[in-house]
Amino acid sequence: MPKSLLIDPADMRKRGTLHAPEIPLNAYVSDPVAEALKYGSTALVRMYRDMLMIREFETMLDRIKKQGEYEGVTYEHRGPAHLSSGQEAAAVGQAYHLTPDDLIFGSHRSHGEILAKSLSAIHKMEAVALVHVMERYMDGDILRVVEDYSDSTEQGLAIDFTLYGALAEIFARKNGFNRGLGGSMHAFFPPFGVMPNNAIVGGSADIATGAALFKRINRKPGMVIANIGDASMGCGPTWEAMMFSAMDQFHTLWGGPSLGGRDGVKGHPPILFNFMNNFYGMGGQPKGETMGFDVLARVAMGVNPSGMHAERIDGFNPLAVADAIERKRAILESGNGPVLLDTVTYRFSGHSPSDASSYRDAQEVKLWQAQDALVQFAEYLVVNGHATTRVLEQLHAEIKGRVLLALRAASSDHISPRLNSRTGDIGPLMFSNQYKDRMAADEPEVLIPQSASRLTQLHEKHRFATDEQGAPNPKLKTLTYAEALTEAMIHRFYQDPTMVAYGEENRDWGGAFGVYRGLTECLPYHRLFNAPISEGAIVGTGVGYAISGGRAVVELMYCDFMGRAGDQIFNQMAKWQSMSGGMLQMPLVLRVSVGSKYGAQHSQDWSSLCAHIPGLKVFFPATAYDAKGMLNLALRGTDPVVFFESQRLYGEPERYVAGGVPRDYYEVPLGEPAIRRTGDDVTIVTIGATLTVAIEAARDLAQLGISAEVIDTRFINPLNYDTIIASVRKTGRCILASDACEQGSFLHTMATHITRAAFDQLDGPVTVVGARNWITPPTEIEELFFPQKSWLLDAIDDNILPIPGYASVRTSMEPR
Amino acid sequence: MPKPILLPKLGNSVESCLVAAWLKQPGDTVSVGDAIASVETDKTTVEVVSTLSGTLMKHLVDVGDEVPVFAPIAFIDDGSGDAETATTANAPAVSPRARHVALAQGIEVGALMGSGPNGRIIERDVLAAQMATKSAETDAKKLTPVARAMVESGHYVASTPGSGQRGTITKHDLRPAKPEPTAPDSDEVQTVPLAGVRKVIAQRMRASLHTTAQLTLNAFANASAMLAYRKQLKASDEALGLRDITLNDLLMFAVARTLPQFPEVNATLEGDTITRSRGVHLGFAVDTPRGLLVPVIRNAHTRTLAGLASDARTCAAAARDGRIAPDQLTAGTFTVSNLGQFGIESFTPILNPPQVAILGVGGIALRPVQVDDEVRFVPHLSLSLTIDHQVLDGAIGARFLQGLARNIAVFDLLLAL
Repeated sequence: MPKSLLIDPADMRKRGTLHAPEIPLNAYVSDPVAEALKYGSTALVRMYRDMLMIREFETMLDRIKKQGEYEGVTYEHRGPAHLSSGQEAAAVGQAYHLTPDDLIFGSHRSHGEILAKSLSAIHKMEAVALVHVMERYMDGDILRVVEDYSDSTEQGLAIDFTLYGALAEIFARKNGFNRGLGGSMHAFFPPFGVMPNNAIVGGSADIATGAALFKRINRKPGMVIANIGDASMGCGPTWEAMMFSAMDQFHTLWGGPSLGGRDGVKGHPPILFNFMNNFYGMGGQPKGETMGFDVLARVAMGVNPSGMHAERIDGFNPLAVADAIERKRAILESGNGPVLLDTVTYRFSGHSPSDASSYRDAQEVKLWQAQDALVQFAEYLVVNGHATTRVLEQLHAEIKGRVLLALRAASSDHISPRLNSRTGDIGPLMFSNQYKDRMAADEPEVLIPQSASRLTQLHEKHRFATDEQGAPNPKLKTLTYAEALTEAMIHRFYQDPTMVAYGEENRDWGGAFGVYRGLTECLPYHRLFNAPISEGAIVGTGVGYAISGGRAVVELMYCDFMGRAGDQIFNQMAKWQSMSGGMLQMPLVLRVSVGSKYGAQHSQDWSSLCAHIPGLKVFFPATAYDAKGMLNLALRGTDPVVFFESQRLYGEPERYVAGGVPRDYYEVPLGEPAIRRTGDDVTIVTIGATLTVAIEAARDLAQLGISAEVIDTRFINPLNYDTIIASVRKTGRCILASDACEQGSFLHTMATHITRAAFDQLDGPVTVVGARNWITPPTEIEELFFPQKSWLLDAIDDNILPIPGYASVRTSMEPR
Repeated sequence: MPKPILLPKLGNSVESCLVAAWLKQPGDTVSVGDAIASVETDKTTVEVVSTLSGTLMKHLVDVGDEVPVFAPIAFIDDGSGDAETATTANAPAVSPRARHVALAQGIEVGALMGSGPNGRIIERDVLAAQMATKSAETDAKKLTPVARAMVESGHYVASTPGSGQRGTITKHDLRPAKPEPTAPDSDEVQTVPLAGVRKVIAQRMRASLHTTAQLTLNAFANASAMLAYRKQLKASDEALGLRDITLNDLLMFAVARTLPQFPEVNATLEGDTITRSRGVHLGFAVDTPRGLLVPVIRNAHTRTLAGLASDARTCAAAARDGRIAPDQLTAGTFTVSNLGQFGIESFTPILNPPQVAILGVGGIALRPVQVDDEVRFVPHLSLSLTIDHQVLDGAIGARFLQGLARNIAVFDLLLAL
């Protein structure tokens, strides 16, 4: 809602007709003479070689999977193999013009794209650079195996390196590109511009958009392609990614000296959505059955006035594909993307080896096989004199040899061992656990010096709730939880040039709850902007931005909206560091706010959902001191953090830590809970804003002669239980409370750990007090739903330690 | 089902109360608000009212008991419950913490009634029982002097409540302490709980060092006369029954005859009172399988050597067998501890409070003595006297040692006294 953009009713209400741009269908016309001149025989034959290598690789996997044997090597492959035989021309044509700086993100069916892009990069890279990559990648683990059997030229070595690294990954070997943790559907190799391939349909759309955003904002060369299937056009996140990438603000608001941007930031992110249209989504048929677009490219007309420069191209002709990529690159580099390609292709094999192709007619497969790109392109090369049949046959024999060598090495348990859980290989890969002040060395782009920012104003405020005499400081003159967060944001924005923040109402509004007040004045648009209300794209692009090398802070306003970004949080954000086998870092902070007062869809604490998914760090500060110290910690780390905040707490000053919120930079130690009040008789452990309730309950308990220790968990993952267990061993009694619904609450996980560790010291059951297992009722009757002080007393009185002199409000604390 | 009445917190600073009287007895019907007991805080007497209606089943504490707040004091059956709860009442739930504490304190949880949810026995129930036992065992007002001495000997424990007046524990309420559990054979380490006599010794030794100012003086006594006399005894007619008299008997005799001249040394210190005893009640350390015991020979200064030796023999045997009567272990005025037979040259004995002095006796060794112009080797006995410097100055102790050494040197003359 920038004031500079007028919404004029005179325009909005004007009569007229909307015209969509025309979308070319298979417009490429082959001109062998021109093509010979443009590419030359060597390059054309190399294209064929690359297609053939993919075909042989997939054929080998098909045989291994179905017959357990290839050229005398027997092996049982237990994992998946979604083969792309038939789609080789689409992959090779696309990769032809791509440089190592260009990135591709793929799908579960991306073996061909991995190989094509790698082969293209190998051809374009200097021998020295290639050797450097191979020696450095996983400390040369892959190279050492390949050196044993490969021929001596660097290019040949790199080709064998790629075949072996990819195959070892498919076979779940430690020498795989991603230590075997990605597997067939996820394998990737960043040094050649091959980025994560995603087993969630359409999963790459928003991640690739985030990578393109990184390139645009940080002025990095190259374009980004999301290779996704035709069936992903039915996925919300795919649409969200297209909407995000087409935002008008990239042109209307970004860049330009008056807006503080420097040259090169104006314009859309260089993202190309390439739909590998093989006409099947597993067994469902988007064209004619499960969707209504008829021609996939039509969808682009609804996205922006340029219709995403969409085209349908012939994915059976590598030269048609190469031509399209070359033309679209120019559009993308000029900042006029996004682009959509509807690349027609066909898979000859089933969805997977178990697929009996019951959903398609054998005749249909034959029709497409009759037009097999490999056969046709071989004919084209021979007919136009680029190669003889004999040369092509020799090429085939050479490729078979390479594939066989890769298979021998990758199928050997001796040469290619697997990760060993006994030696703890996998656990340490869950997080990168690094801390970096800045993800790049450049000077951060800001509009005013830090000394002129709101920070100076905030520093003048009281830092603690009360003065030395214990009298409350005036509310408006005392730093709040929300402002403590602001301080952490400002600090990192002025340190890390790659840091960006976006989400709903992040810029002019100052964040829906005021956390970003003052940031608009500090930062150019490309570092702080409003996103569309597309939670999937907000988080998904954040993932892509972070794994490309930048630090992103994305915000979902209400915790409840995480449901809209479920896949991006639970399958993407949580997984790519470990699925990369430690090759990627993800400095991504997702801020979510736990609400109240707004009913069933705006008042839920979903920290337990995040706790359940390995790969996410989960923080939930309950005081102003922690708000700043924990956000500081999250913003210097290289791991994905879901950062929970509480709308009950935004306006609260620091009340617990003596001295209040420091003006200087500090961090809260990772995973350590804080004792907020000491006591001997019962331990009350809380997550989030329930701390306030627990402190009140502890005061009442003191009146009743019971001394309660109150511990604020702060970190849900990682969480060091030592402090809590030591407390419970001392008191023998423990209740846990938070605003999350009782059923499935993370508090139960904590209770189990505590019970196990302190069992012999327990004087009663460790008892969980959560919100009721209902929808959150309206604010007028919220006290029926969220844990109240009396609930904590009841829980102690009913379950653990009957309290003389306490009149229980209720008779039972049964969860339902 | 039975439910507990807890002692309420009757003021912010009140941590415990004394039970003054029971106003309702087992079997009485009570209603909510009825006064069931009166208790004394440090300031006043207050009535405890019932929070339940029903039948009072059992008093859990006795008049005179000190009871911590929130501890259960009585059970009232409110008539609720069914067969199921009756069964659970038979096997009450016990919290792990309560079980743990009970085990460590040797308290039988089966005998307790729980004050936790649904009658669960929780930590405070065990602590309350422990406190009741402890106060029963140690509260002077509640034990007869004999019973107290027996309990303090470590051989007996009191069962509560007592059968005497107002629950006073008499010797009839005592039962022998549990024998020490024998640790299993092991090549590795053994863990043995500090309990029974050992625990009493530990507490007393610690108390001795904590509450007194110990000073040890060392001296030698010419033992020639004593050894010569012992030789005579050995060679005496068996019918006289003097052959078994030991060197230690001779020494104790010497001590018993010397002490009356030093009433300051033959004394006890209790509180601010020094009691100097006319009679010598002589304790002597005996090594028993259960640890160190100190039997006391009453009026040792009046005993003949043969009588003293016979008493010492009988007492030592009784102590070793665990048969010794508690009153034979108390009220000594001075103690002798002899380690000479182990080849110990000298050592620092630890006072046996409230006594103010203890004599440690080491071995006999030849010492060079100048007689006229020549040096002769004369057998000497090593003596170490530890005194409580709070009461005795070094000079007094030295004079006593000097006197004792002189008497030993002329032992045969001593017999005439």
